[in-house]
Amino acid sequence: MYKMAAGLLTLRVLRASSGFCRRTPAAAGGLRAASSDAPQDKRAVITESTEEYKFVERLIPPTRIPDPPKHVGAAPSGWIPPAESPPPLPYMIRRSRMHNIPVYSDLTHGNRRMTLVRKVEGDIWALEKDVRQYLRQVTGKELPTQVNEVTMTLKVKGHFEQELKDWLASRGF
Amino acid sequence: MSFPKKPGGKGLDVLQNLPRITLANLRPEPGARKNEKRRGRGQHGGNRSGRGHKGERQRGTRPRLGFEGGQTPFYLRIPKYGFNEGHSRRPQYQPLTLKRLQYLIDLGRIDPSQPIDLTQLVNARGVTIQPLKRDYGVQLVDEGSDIFVAKINIEVQRATEGAIAAIERNGGIITNSFYDPISLGILIKPVPFFMRGQPIPKRMLPGEDMVPYYMSAENRGYLADPEEIQQARRALAQKYGYVLPDISKDELCHMLAMRKDVRQIFFGLSPGWVVNMPEKKILKPTDEKLLQYYSS
Repeated sequence: MYKMAAGLLTLRVLRASSGFCRRTPAAAGGLRAASSDAPQDKRAVITESTEEYKFVERLIPPTRIPDPPKHVGAAPSGWIPPAESPPPLPYMIRRSRMHNIPVYSDLTHGNRRMTLVRKVEGDIWALEKDVRQYLRQVTGKELPTQVNEVTMTLKVKGHFEQELKDWLASRGF
Repeated sequence: MSFPKKPGGKGLDVLQNLPRITLANLRPEPGARKNEKRRGRGQHGGNRSGRGHKGERQRGTRPRLGFEGGQTPFYLRIPKYGFNEGHSRRPQYQPLTLKRLQYLIDLGRIDPSQPIDLTQLVNARGVTIQPLKRDYGVQLVDEGSDIFVAKINIEVQRATEGAIAAIERNGGIITNSFYDPISLGILIKPVPFFMRGQPIPKRMLPGEDMVPYYMSAENRGYLADPEEIQQARRALAQKYGYVLPDISKDELCHMLAMRKDVRQIFFGLSPGWVVNMPEKKILKPTDEKLLQYYSS
């Protein structure tokens, strides 16, 4: 797979066909016909081509985040796509820009552990009730939570990122 | 279900029904603010003000940290050793786990039907390479090798044995190739390089210490012999206990077998060419000396 050989071949082909003569085709043709030893002086310094430009287009980074392809169930890496239709609950949790569930763990002051649920829409108090009930089932403790109605986020004391992500994915968000 | 955004919610309802909020109505939660301890005042803060009784402690003339009263301190007893010597001259490779690679493929950010290059990885925002911080590329790590299920033609700078086994088990091809720092900078950000209007340089060969690594077939180096690589593939399949799939019978065989030339930086573009992005053209040199130089 030596692309160099292929490149050189195309180069020779192109050199024969095109040159700098694009600007004044008639005049250059006439000049070439007139002088016999013209090829040495009239040879182009560079040749242009548009055929290999498709390789350059492959290198340009995309500007928009691509949509993920359809998966049935979970993908091999563990990513779960959102349900086709949103679940019939009084609240909705949107996916992030990169199509992931917006649950994040936070650590401040070296020992303060929190879990943050962002991008909530609708009745956030119903979500808070469900989260509290689910975590009571999982841990057996009553965890303090904080609802911010302005930013529509929910904070829970402790690191429960994985549990909450799995629970929300299973609910279809 | 679209929920109309009601800013504030319950908090806003409460706010609208209560009297106007002023500084006189606000108070912090009890226990939220604790008064600071003021030294030199009163029964508890005063007297010796928490400094102890006489001596260097009270008088604030203690010696420096690490001083052990004249005994050779710990930090001077231990002899020097060059653990970090030359750390700024050591090549670094950004790790890429197979789990993350599978995640990028699942989310459609990387196309497995095209050869995967460092440019493709950076365009997918899968890894961040900083060539100015002595990064020489990306290394493939075998965390997540049990969930990896993708047939790809990938080119990295370093790879662990487990990662090579995981990729070849699924019928893919992995190559370790070297990029010198300038070529790496161009590979990562091709568009700013093309805008400079310089001809694509040829990739330099690795230095003395790295040549054995890139010439060995066990590491699937790009300078290694293809027959030796085939033997190494069979040996690895035997070692890890999987059946080596036959790639020549695959429909994507042509794509999987695509490899860059030793001096080439991008697929399909040879060194010496100038890319004109606004006009979508490629300019190629015709002078013999230049062609000889760039094809050497």
